[in-house]
Amino acid sequence: MTVFVSGLASGAIFAAAALIYNVMFSTSKVLSVATGHTAMLGGVFGAWFMSSLGLPAAVALLGSVAVGAAFGFVTDFVAIRRVLTRSDEHLWLLSTLALATMTQQVVALWWGTEPRPFPRLLPQAYSSGLADQKYWLPVAVALLLAIGLELFYRRTLYGKLFMALSEDAFAARARGVPTGRLRALSYVMAGSMGGLAGFAAGQLTFAYFALGLTLSLNGFIALAAGGLGSNVGALVGGGALGMLNAIATYFIGGQYQNTVAVGLLMVVLLIKPEGLFGAKVARPV
Amino acid sequence: MRWCPIPGAVAVIAATFCSLTSLSCQKKEPLKIGWLSSLTGPLSTAAIAENRGVEFAVEEINNAGGVNGQKIEIVTRDTAGDPTKAVNFAKQLIFVDKVSVIIGPVNSGESLASVPVVAKEGIPNLIIGTLDELTDPVKYPRAFRAICTNSQWIDAANDYALHVLKKSNVAIIADTTGYGTATAKAAAASLDKSGAKPVYTVLVDPNKTDLTDEMNKAKAAGADIVMPWSASTGLLARLLNTRGDMGWSVPVVGHPVLMAAPIRPLLNKPDYLQNVFAAGYSSMTYDEGGKLPAATAKLRDQIRGRLGNGGEIDFSFWWVALGYDTVKLVEHAVKTAGATDPGAIQKAFENTKNFAGVYATYSWGPEERNGYPPQAVVMNIASSFKDGAYKAAPH
Repeated sequence: MTVFVSGLASGAIFAAAALIYNVMFSTSKVLSVATGHTAMLGGVFGAWFMSSLGLPAAVALLGSVAVGAAFGFVTDFVAIRRVLTRSDEHLWLLSTLALATMTQQVVALWWGTEPRPFPRLLPQAYSSGLADQKYWLPVAVALLLAIGLELFYRRTLYGKLFMALSEDAFAARARGVPTGRLRALSYVMAGSMGGLAGFAAGQLTFAYFALGLTLSLNGFIALAAGGLGSNVGALVGGGALGMLNAIATYFIGGQYQNTVAVGLLMVVLLIKPEGLFGAKVARPV
Repeated sequence: MRWCPIPGAVAVIAATFCSLTSLSCQKKEPLKIGWLSSLTGPLSTAAIAENRGVEFAVEEINNAGGVNGQKIEIVTRDTAGDPTKAVNFAKQLIFVDKVSVIIGPVNSGESLASVPVVAKEGIPNLIIGTLDELTDPVKYPRAFRAICTNSQWIDAANDYALHVLKKSNVAIIADTTGYGTATAKAAAASLDKSGAKPVYTVLVDPNKTDLTDEMNKAKAAGADIVMPWSASTGLLARLLNTRGDMGWSVPVVGHPVLMAAPIRPLLNKPDYLQNVFAAGYSSMTYDEGGKLPAATAKLRDQIRGRLGNGGEIDFSFWWVALGYDTVKLVEHAVKTAGATDPGAIQKAFENTKNFAGVYATYSWGPEERNGYPPQAVVMNIASSFKDGAYKAAPH
């Protein structure tokens, strides 16, 4: 049971990262390397707001979401906008990697390279075992984000515009859709989701500067396994990855954890290249 | 404009004087020491503290006239804990800065990469990483270790577990880094020599967010002592939190980071540090009267004001002492050698016997590259931290 719960909790964080990828990808076709860093910032700033500034948890939560949103905007402004305007090549890989590296370095210099504690959010004894909030808060937030995104895409005008942009950016622009502004909005939204996910996972991950790349990598694996563009796929992919990691560590040993993660990605890509819930894309010839 | 003969005459006299006594007029080149430190990367807490010790020793030596009349110039390079940077900076120190000796890097992973590079160029290197493989009188004849070895930590911890606590059902929990993997094997081999076998051994990713499974398995395997071998504060804190949350009172004995300052705020409750013992040093251990060795107390009082935090030392002071000693050791070797020639410095280190530092009393030999005396590794009570040092574990 502990394998299941701890695997589910870490899988939920990967799923949240996969959902963030989806939001940014829908408007820009970019898989930002700085995706995990939005969650890292959420955890670090959440801890800072509460521990150093003494702010209540609710205010710290809003602050973390705001920091994530600001980082999302900066990502679009610094690493995406000009790169997409000037080149069709995948230069965004380099620009987002550079931004991710710089962000991590700046946080390391300011916050330190040792993990720092993340305060308890809800009153609960530490001996609560598997019912502990550190396991369930990330799961609840991943589910909340997935449901919220589905509602956003289906029920709101902006959600429909996101989908139109995702289907065909040129056609959307031809019909007067402000694609640049929508892309910036999607990055702000993705950043705020990262801030929320990092805040919810803080008790599990601690407030740690080096968390970003781990989440970017595992979030990408979850996304590729679940299917690019699918929110259900992101949830299933993240959950499966977390569970497989936990099972591999339990039965085989921690040294094989990453082998299992990358192995999962390879198996899925070999059998179903579009991912478990991804849509097949027909290429006109 | 009238020509004034006085300045010209002064110049002529000065030039004549200098040509007669050229040595006194020629400014001596500084003694350049390269310092590879992870000031902004992993283990930066230790590196920053070591740097304080290095800087203090340099200032002290230079104020006293330098080494054989040469002022020391420290050339610091921040490796950020990255082995690639450590190698690149080591080359820069050798070929561009032309240093006489290199101290560092501060962690074993970086040292594994840089030590062969420094050795190839024949530059003396003071090693402050603990992995046993870092020294070899044949492969790296000019690399001398100023810190204890990993084996010394392991042997001290195993000895304490088996012979003092009388616990032989050992669970070894190490991380999946090169250090953790190698140390788990070495710890099991050391136990084997003592006639004990671990009942449970596991390697865990240092960023794993939960250790409940591992601790439950250790308990189910009948472990009566848990021995973690990792320098990851996050992993060790999670291990202690899991033990505490489980209500399991098993003793934890192992790596010095168990008692490092960054662990304490990560614990769910301060009590979770009870019954935890870590490998430490006699020079940093309070005696029964609550006093530190005289050399440690003296350095601590001298440097206290520079360490900030209102004069209270909130990190392990041995880092400062080690940094301080490395520069003093270089001073000793260059003075003894009477030159900065690498071969002469090697000989001077090889002939060093019982050099009294603050962190330790060092001895090397023609076939011995580990200078730290094994008997100076002692076990400390992790929860006993006070002003940079610890109490001895009960015997």
